[in-house]
Amino acid sequence: MLLIRRLAVERERWMSAREFGEVWALSQLSPGIHLVALAGLIGRRAAGWRGVIAAVAGMMIPAAAITVALTAAYEMIAASALARAALAGVAPVTGGMTIATAALLVRTSARHGRTHLAIDLAVCLASLVAAVFLGIPTLAAIGAGAAIGALALGREPPTSRESSVG
Amino acid sequence: MDALALFGVFLKASALSLGGLSSLPLLRGDLVAPGIATDDQVIQAIAIGRISTGPNGLYIVSLGYLVAGVVGATMALLAASLPPLVIVPITAAARRWLVATPVAGLVRGVALATAGLLAATGIGIVSATGTPSLWQLALAAIAVVLTYRGTVHPAIVIAIGAASGLALGR
Repeated sequence: MLLIRRLAVERERWMSAREFGEVWALSQLSPGIHLVALAGLIGRRAAGWRGVIAAVAGMMIPAAAITVALTAAYEMIAASALARAALAGVAPVTGGMTIATAALLVRTSARHGRTHLAIDLAVCLASLVAAVFLGIPTLAAIGAGAAIGALALGREPPTSRESSVG
Repeated sequence: MDALALFGVFLKASALSLGGLSSLPLLRGDLVAPGIATDDQVIQAIAIGRISTGPNGLYIVSLGYLVAGVVGATMALLAASLPPLVIVPITAAARRWLVATPVAGLVRGVALATAGLLAATGIGIVSATGTPSLWQLALAAIAVVLTYRGTVHPAIVIAIGAASGLALGR
């Protein structure tokens, strides 16, 4: 994010620092990967729709190619005894990373104030309990979160707008 | 699973998530439960996604490759790239609407519900291969702390996991 900001604001001067803050906040409202939305918004500002395509392709294609290359390399050794043993340690690590991502998402989204924070944490906990113990479908939990949010969670700004979870 | 159906699964997960890894609960539900992918493949994809360059959400490209080769990776790449771009025309047409209170609330509600689902998925991954042993629980706890604080590169955290697995997992 900082590298993109330096390029767009300081080096190429496609936008001011204030405008960058604005498109960053807007990108956090997008579905999917927020950095793609940020690239799209900056690209549009710099060069219209062709800028959108260039920015997103530039961000995603090289990274995707590297990801595929790493995956293909891993696949060659995936069946070996050593890789199987390593996976026994990598599995809890990726699980832990996923739990930490959840905690970061709460930190970015939850509101200030004891009551607001308690309500927000309750929504998060309800979704966790619904998934683990009640077998509620993922889509239903997201839909319930959206409905509760639109009706009751819109009052305060999030505690932090300058940290991102990806 | 044919390419178009796989694209549909990835597109749904991407369009209904908020940021990087948050597509994981939907993807795990749609791919692992019906037996199209295994939990091992999901774990490998997350690890590779964290080691590789680009946004964290690109783990779905790795998962696409593991499930259906280059075609799967291409479907995943398209599905990851398209949904976030809806914000571009919306911003141009209705910027004021985007900062309205119900929209902020909706995004917050989805984020909080997704956080709960992600935590559940994380717990599911830790216990994917049966009851985790003590050293695996300790590794998971270390990964939670290091990732939350963000001071150590994810590749190093994964390397710690792999080294521990090699030492203790055989």
